[in-house]
Amino acid sequence: MGETMEKPLDGSALVPTKRRPLLPEAGAAGAPLITVIAVISFLACMSLAGFFLVRQAAQEWTSDLTGSITVQIISNSPADISRQTDAAAAILRTTSGVVSVKVYSLDERRKLLEPWLGQAEISDDLPVPGIIAVKVQKALRKDLSGLRSQLAEIAPGAVVDDHGVWNDSLAASARTGQILAFGIFLMIMLAAIAVIIYAARAGLAANKEIIDVLHLVGASDEFVAAEVQRRFFLLGLRGAVMGLALAILVLLFAGWALQGVEPSGYFLPAIRNQSGTLFWLIIVPLLMCTVAAFSAKRTVMRALAGRWSQ
Amino acid sequence: MIQESQKDRSILVKFDHVGLSYDGVADILSDVDMVIRDGDFRFLTGPSGAGKTSLLKMIYLAQRPSTGAVTLFGENVNQMPREQLPLMRRRIGVVFQEFRLLEHLTAFENVALPMRVQGVNQNEYAQDVTELLTWVGLGDRIFALPETLSGGEKQRVALARALVAKPDLILADEPTGNVDPIMGERIMRLLVELNRLGTAVIVATHDLDLVRRMKKNILRLKGGRLTLHGPLKERTHKPAAGQDQGAAASRSAMGAG
Ligand SMILES: Nc1ncnc2c1ncn2[C@@H]1O[C@H](COP(=O)(O)OP(=O)(O)O)[C@@H](O)[C@H]1O
Ligand SMILES: [Mg+2]
Repeated sequence: MGETMEKPLDGSALVPTKRRPLLPEAGAAGAPLITVIAVISFLACMSLAGFFLVRQAAQEWTSDLTGSITVQIISNSPADISRQTDAAAAILRTTSGVVSVKVYSLDERRKLLEPWLGQAEISDDLPVPGIIAVKVQKALRKDLSGLRSQLAEIAPGAVVDDHGVWNDSLAASARTGQILAFGIFLMIMLAAIAVIIYAARAGLAANKEIIDVLHLVGASDEFVAAEVQRRFFLLGLRGAVMGLALAILVLLFAGWALQGVEPSGYFLPAIRNQSGTLFWLIIVPLLMCTVAAFSAKRTVMRALAGRWSQ
Repeated sequence: MIQESQKDRSILVKFDHVGLSYDGVADILSDVDMVIRDGDFRFLTGPSGAGKTSLLKMIYLAQRPSTGAVTLFGENVNQMPREQLPLMRRRIGVVFQEFRLLEHLTAFENVALPMRVQGVNQNEYAQDVTELLTWVGLGDRIFALPETLSGGEKQRVALARALVAKPDLILADEPTGNVDPIMGERIMRLLVELNRLGTAVIVATHDLDLVRRMKKNILRLKGGRLTLHGPLKERTHKPAAGQDQGAAASRSAMGAG
């Protein structure tokens, strides 16, 4: 496809000739098609970003939770609670695999109850359960049975909560979110394929005379399909890069806009720290130009195969 | 078989009882038998609408015969799979009646097209293309787009394109139809020169004066059949200027038959 210099016999000047595409750039049909592909690519980027954001957020929650368990001491007598709490804390501190132990004071525990009981004075007689927050290594987190039986002997009111339920439901909703985002991504790519096939067919019809001439001077179907394929590859690449650029701008803007917000939302940490996600979006233009080239080629080959002559 | 003396030369095109109907009802051509051999020069004549272009189309594989068999370079094309058609077409150079140049490509690129679709590197054909364009008198129009060319110039670009791949057979459909008489004469001389160099040539034309001047064998189409296979005889008087070509054609055919 390079440029060559050649010399017309009538003059001495060297004239460069460039090998132009045999199918003309469809100016009228090309611009709307690039726009459609750019929009589709933008949507594909957003759904893929959603997929990675959910995944990243889920990883952050679960890695937070897997390292921690909570031991509650439940009893009817406040004195019993405080005795058992101390005993349980002592055992926990000597258990291997425990990283840190934090015993909640009565004041702290009452504060935790405030949302349910209100600001009203809580009677000293009310048996507020003891709470010990324990950070543990993953190995221990996985098998708590030994710890449980040890605690049961010394502090019968101890209930070990490994956040399993919370953890499982988080994982389940994260999975659902990921499947949903990926499903949307697939549907969008399907729409892209449909648009490409439609455009390739329209292109065949619009360029019928050119394609007929190519065949009549000896072009094979593969040659014609390769010409179409090359055009759609570039079209897909250009449109997808535009869509990707727009998606990156939107995501960066969202990250910037949420900079000052308290990290209470589940997705915020992920949106703010998204360089990994942005990197993965490179998949979209790569996939789009491949899909465009392949679909166009297949469409042309199938359309031409039925014709005997042109 | 015609021309017993030429049997030693290889057969390029053979029609056996070929019939053609576009709509399955009216026959455009019926029971056409003919043989084109290596080195032949033939005029295909007949009035406008006689089916000259249709006959050529069956040779350059743009049209399948409705009945009978077309054999090209020894192979029956009726059953030929689609993948093989390009290889056959590459051995035939066609000058289309309407030129069929690609408007977005320069004269150079149009002439280079048959080489390019074969995947030949531009370095290998650039010289040939330039020389061919110079040979047909367009050395100064190499990078012109077709829309800037006159009818005669387009005709010669189309001729150069038909020649560039060094075909065994040239088909020229009314090559003098869109140009002035001087240019027509020039184009015919180029075709005769090519034939002298060994290429078989079929020229479809309804211009009987031209046919008479060239003194070549003719294939005459009338009523969908080939009615005459020999050279056209000299006429004692020329038709008056502006006289109907079709009428002139049928009279001369009768005179010759
Ligand atoms: N593609 C086609 N479909 C239907 N009829 C056609 C087609 N091409 C040519 N014809 C008809 O076939 C007849 C012969 O046409 P053509 O081969 O172009 O004759 P010529 O080249 O001798 O003028 C004409 O009546 C024309 O209308
Ligand atoms: Mg015609």
